[in-house]
Order: sequence, then structure tokens, then C-alpha cells
Amino acid sequence: MSLEFLDAKFVSKAAILRDRANMFDEIRAFFKKRGVIEVDCCSLVQYPPLDANIEVMSVSVSDQDIGYLHTSPEYAMKKLLAFGLGDIFYLGHVFRKGEIGKLHSPEFTMIEWYRISISYSDFINETCELIMQFIGRFPIRILSYREAFQSFLGIDPFEECNFSAVAHRLGIDTPKNSIHWDCDTWLQLLLSHAIEPNLGRDELTVLCEYPPSQAALARVIEKEGISIAERFEIYFKGIELSNGYHELSDAKEQRRRFVEENKNRQILGKEAYKLDESFLAALERGLPDCCGVSVGFDRLMLIRHKLNALHETSCFV
Amino acid sequence: MSQVTTNELKVGMKVEVDKEPYLIIINEFVKPGKGQAFNRIRMKNMVTGRVVERTYKSGEKLDLADIEEAEVRFLYKDADGAVFMDEKTFDQITISKELLGSNEQWLKEEIVYHVVFYKGSPIEVVPPTFMELTIVDTAPGVRGDTSGRVMKNAVLETGSKIQVPIFIEQGEKIKVDTRTGEYVSRVS
Repeated sequence: MSLEFLDAKFVSKAAILRDRANMFDEIRAFFKKRGVIEVDCCSLVQYPPLDANIEVMSVSVSDQDIGYLHTSPEYAMKKLLAFGLGDIFYLGHVFRKGEIGKLHSPEFTMIEWYRISISYSDFINETCELIMQFIGRFPIRILSYREAFQSFLGIDPFEECNFSAVAHRLGIDTPKNSIHWDCDTWLQLLLSHAIEPNLGRDELTVLCEYPPSQAALARVIEKEGISIAERFEIYFKGIELSNGYHELSDAKEQRRRFVEENKNRQILGKEAYKLDESFLAALERGLPDCCGVSVGFDRLMLIRHKLNALHETSCFV
Repeated sequence: MSQVTTNELKVGMKVEVDKEPYLIIINEFVKPGKGQAFNRIRMKNMVTGRVVERTYKSGEKLDLADIEEAEVRFLYKDADGAVFMDEKTFDQITISKELLGSNEQWLKEEIVYHVVFYKGSPIEVVPPTFMELTIVDTAPGVRGDTSGRVMKNAVLETGSKIQVPIFIEQGEKIKVDTRTGEYVSRVS
């Protein structure tokens, strides 16, 4: 069929969508070569994720029952890991309420995978390899959270510090009630406004060794006298592309963090959620020592095609 | 006072911040990884015109500004400023010279202007984008050059001083862009 009658905009959109299909094939080949099998987790789940900063969409499953659209396949995949499925990946859509922006979409495509057979450092390299399938080869720089704050802002994020004064010195204006913001909020403000835009200039920057208060589902270890979370994020051209962990497998610690997150949700005036007991039971049965990461497929496509906004990469707008 | 959350703020909405009205110019959603989401909002102070950028936690509530707008007809100037009549209510309002600022040069009787009120007080007067005005003073027209690129000074009936092409005569009516003070065309 001739496409000549179409607007140039639609022709380039068609090219992006063909490449989208091509990259799905590439990803599946990437994992096949490494013996990682695909799992197609359910989008509709019974328990929402427990995260103070991620909002879930609820749907009515029947007249009586409410379900949720998964914000990531994490709990489901960890249950599969506890069943002994081994190295697994998911490629599909996830949903997050209220996340709307140039780099955010309430529905987006995620690549998430877990590896039991390689080390944490090899896992970080593997994640970079997958990213470079999309954007070409670049040097990789490992940068700790502490080094990032020290080199860009001259402050130590692990020390007591008047972070609000630092933000205001940088010209970041905040509302009056920000005097009540906690340390992590200030750190995240500084990270997103003053550090992230500088990361991944002509390299892949792997930001790692997060403060324990931002561990999410990562292990916390002691290094040179301070506690750090084995969590990493990868940036290219100031855009965050992935979030990975050396996964926490301690069921007790996991329950403690869930309870803590629920408290944080309530402080923020949000609804507390029921704990996913079957997930905690799976951890109790035993989650193998593993690493896991999620990578935003649409953001990779955005960089690959030099686009400005996420919706330009997807099938529907 | 009605409120709106940062996520619902759209370009063009008007909010009250630190007791002053602001017009939303850009609302950018920023979220570091699994962290706290922010809205980085660029907004213009509707009184001073100053543009500021401020970051809020996503989901915070802001007050909507008490902004009203009206179409008003210019009647006459007096010692305090200019007197207009509201097209709907026929109320007369006086707008100070200070608030009129450079827009005083676009005041013509019977022309309808747009006024923005904040908490009942006028904060901005906007003339029509294009006005048709008569030239009251300019050098005699020069025939020959009709390119419109060679300009000369001219004074309009409202007192504004602009540049017009040299072939334009005193007493002619022209169309002018009030945003830039630029000559647009002759009015036949």
C-alpha cells in the first residue's frame, strides 16, 4: 500500500511503531540468549503495591469486588521466583495514577527482570547492555548517591544538613509549608532539580548506594561505616531509565517496611492498604538471592528516536 | 475559597499565592524514580508581571484566585485617571493612570477595553489588539516608495507615537497593533 497520501507526521509515526515492534523482538532475543524466560503477569491484581509515592488505579472486578491495575509486576514475579522459576522477565504495560507529563504516562511499557544466577555488579552491567541496545554504546560511570551530592552540591546527604537552605541557595523556590517537608523530600527535590539534569551527559550514569530511607525493596548493607541500600538508577541525558535492586528477601524486614510505608501513606493523607500476605508468605518460603530491575521501554524509544514526549512513542495518544 | 490540586492545574488557570494572583504558564510533573512527585510550576504575577518558578509536592492544594473579567467602554479622562463603563452592568469605573501605564496611549472614546479584576479591584487593562486610528501629525507623504520599508514618525489621535511608511498622509486612518505599537496597514 502506498503511504504517499499520508501526512509526513503519520509516516514518521508508522516508522516509530515498526521500530517499536522491532525492539520488542530485540529484547526477547536479548533475554533468550541469556536463558531468561518471559512471564506474562496479570495486569489485574488483588493487592495494590505498598509505596507511599506510587498511586494505583482501582477497577471494579464484580459488583462486590475491587481490583487494581498493577503498577509493576514486582510482587507477582517475586512469587514466581519463590516457586523456583529461575531467571525471568516481563515485557508489558503497567499503570500509575496521576503520572502525567512529558516523561510520564499513566499507562506505559515496562521491561522488568530478575536474575538469580549473576552478581549485583554483573547485573548492573547487564542492565546497561540492554539500554545500549536502544541508544548505542556509551561509557558507563558508577556514581554513588553520596558522591553525586558531594560533587554537584558540595553537601553530604548522609549527614544532618539544612537541605532547605541548600535548595533556596540554588534558587529553587518552594511553598511556605515546605518547612514541614522531611529530609527525604528535600533530598529528592535536590536530586530531581539540581543533580539529575547533569547525569548521563555522554555516558550512562549508574547512581547507586542510596540512603536506607530510600531503599524501597533493596537490601541494606554496611559500607565504610554507613548503611546504604543496594539500589541503582541509570540515567542518560538527564532522563532516568531504570530502577534496580539487590532484592530484599527477609520477610520480617519486608513486613516492617510495608507497615512503615502504610504509615507514610497515612501521614500524606492517603489510604492505607492491606498487606499482600501471599507475597510475604512467598518471601518466608524463601526468595532466592536475586537482583531485579525495571526499565522504561517508552523512554528508551523516546531517546532512540529523539522525541520530546512519551506519547509520541506509543500506539495511541 | 475554591481550591485545586497541583495535578489539576492547567496552563491559563489563575491561583492565589502569598496573597497575590498568578497566571499558570507551565506546570511540569517531576518525579525522581520511586520518590516524591513534584510539580514545578512557572507562573506570572498578574499585578507585577514578574514570572516566578516554584516547586510543590504533587497533590498539594492551591487557592484559585478571585479573578473576574469585564468588557468596558472608555468614556473620558479625568484628574484621577480614565473613566470606563461596564458593558453589562453600565457601572462606571475609574482606572488610575498608574495602572493604565503605557496603555494610556491607546485610549479612544467609545472603544471597548478588556479589564481584569482581582478581588473586585482592577489590575489590568487590555486594549483591542488592533485599533484603527487617525494620524494627526506627520511629515507630508512622499510618493514613489510604496515598499513600506522606509518609515517616518507619526502621531495618532490617541497621542501614541509610531512609525509609518513615508507614503502615508496626515489625516489618514491606519490600523495599528497595540501590543507592539507597529503600523499594520492603511484603512480604506
